[in-house]
Amino acid sequence: MENLWFLAAVWVGLALIATLLAIWLRVSTALSEIVVGTVAQLVIGTIVGPDWLGSSSEWVTFLAGTGAIVLTFLAGAELDPAVFRARWKESAVVGLVSFGAPFLGAAAAAYYMLGWTPAASWLAGVAMSTTSVAVVYAVMLELGFNTTEYGKAMLAACFVTDLGTVIALGLIFAPFTLRTAVFVVVCLVVFGVLPFLTPRFFRRYGGRVSELEAKFILLCLFATGGVAVWAGSEAVLPAYVIGMLLAGTVGKDHVLIRRLRTLTFGLLTPFYFIRAGSFVSVPALAAAPMVFVVLFSAKMVSKIAGVFPAVRAFRYGRQEGLYYTLMMSTGLTFGTISALFGLSHGIVTPGQYSHLVAAVIGSAVVPTLIANAFFMPVHLQPAAVTEPAGAQAMPAATPKGVEHV
Amino acid sequence: MYSRILVAYDGSNGARAALRQGIALAKALGAEISTISVEEHLPHYAASISEVKAAKEEIDEYFRALAKEARDVAALEGVEIETLVRQGHEVETIVTVAKDGRFDLLVAGYHGHSRIFDRLMGSTAQSIVRLAPCSVLLAK
Repeated sequence: MENLWFLAAVWVGLALIATLLAIWLRVSTALSEIVVGTVAQLVIGTIVGPDWLGSSSEWVTFLAGTGAIVLTFLAGAELDPAVFRARWKESAVVGLVSFGAPFLGAAAAAYYMLGWTPAASWLAGVAMSTTSVAVVYAVMLELGFNTTEYGKAMLAACFVTDLGTVIALGLIFAPFTLRTAVFVVVCLVVFGVLPFLTPRFFRRYGGRVSELEAKFILLCLFATGGVAVWAGSEAVLPAYVIGMLLAGTVGKDHVLIRRLRTLTFGLLTPFYFIRAGSFVSVPALAAAPMVFVVLFSAKMVSKIAGVFPAVRAFRYGRQEGLYYTLMMSTGLTFGTISALFGLSHGIVTPGQYSHLVAAVIGSAVVPTLIANAFFMPVHLQPAAVTEPAGAQAMPAATPKGVEHV
Repeated sequence: MYSRILVAYDGSNGARAALRQGIALAKALGAEISTISVEEHLPHYAASISEVKAAKEEIDEYFRALAKEARDVAALEGVEIETLVRQGHEVETIVTVAKDGRFDLLVAGYHGHSRIFDRLMGSTAQSIVRLAPCSVLLAK
């Protein structure tokens, strides 16, 4: 479609449909947007033409890319530095194993079992290595584990896993030229300066209607992202690290995070997730369902084989260990970001991309269901659930928030 | 006849009728009355913690308003009411609270799903009637 505003209306309309479906079906907007993007491309592509939706047009690519970068920044900024410092040994070990085992396992499965090229296999390893901190957090919050040491350690480990994923994504496919060295040096300088500069700069000039904070953060993300892409790396790498480094300062500014959230979820991420979904080929999935099975199984088996012993080494019982392991086996945002990186850089084919995204979505859903159905460590749940202010507590025999009748 | 009344209150029209009838009964019988509101699931498979936190804030705000509304309605009748909010599956949480709180009457609203929905899924009201440990009054 040539009329830019009509096309924008179509995309925002799709985002609105996805949001309504998310409300009705009680799933996340992101998941709904991916599915809506896939269905829209299938239907519109068949009826009107494959390019009508304009998923590869420059402005859609820009908005979607910005969505991925800001989303990654927000993900990093949610780290709780105090918890990480308190449980750094456990978080580092479990998180690194949770990244390394599926990275190698899924890459090997893609290479030896599916016959993918080495580059496509490494990309599969990266996409399958992730842990969805958001999926884990939702479960922790719902069940009250987020206030326990068990839940906090698990969440901190998720950040380490995702850090491994973004570093792998940023460096494995980099050409390692002089530009790479410049990129690394620029990143180190920025990472060193920002935690010192940002809070002072915001204290002096922030808190105004002109939204200086959002502009400053976008400047940092775009500038470091630009250097990353110039060096043949990926813009989400510096975005995630900047988010983590600013988690203790900017991340605690709830008003700023809420403003960024409005910008991100209101405009940017719908373009990112709908675009990611629009590249999924349903015919390719239907033609080779075993590829999905291999990728998904490779992730699950290698996560369990690696993470379970690592978790047990920190003196968790069998049930807590299995629950911990299954939670660490979830994936969504960084999995799709990695897969889309592979597609847009020609590392994977559209068919391979489709299978990777399907396996990523499968890993968001299946481990959570199994963990909550069979391995939930009920004995670790806090005795009372949080009540919103204004509600009165129940006396004496307070039931747990979730107990199966 | 009834000394402890529990009203399942989710802010729907049926639940509002249940609240009114529960308060009237409590006033007439001199019984203690509580409401139970159940926060159902946060969005599953979210893209970021921010999305989950935003949803949680929305849910908390909604249930704060529900609790206040119940207290205001009860205050108009001169009845003291306890407002409870729990997370979990709607039916099982209501039943558990009724059991653990030793309530002897549970008042719930009849939602009025379509016949097909009721046949396929079973309504919340039907499940509450089937599983409740005490007498149940369905308000319309």
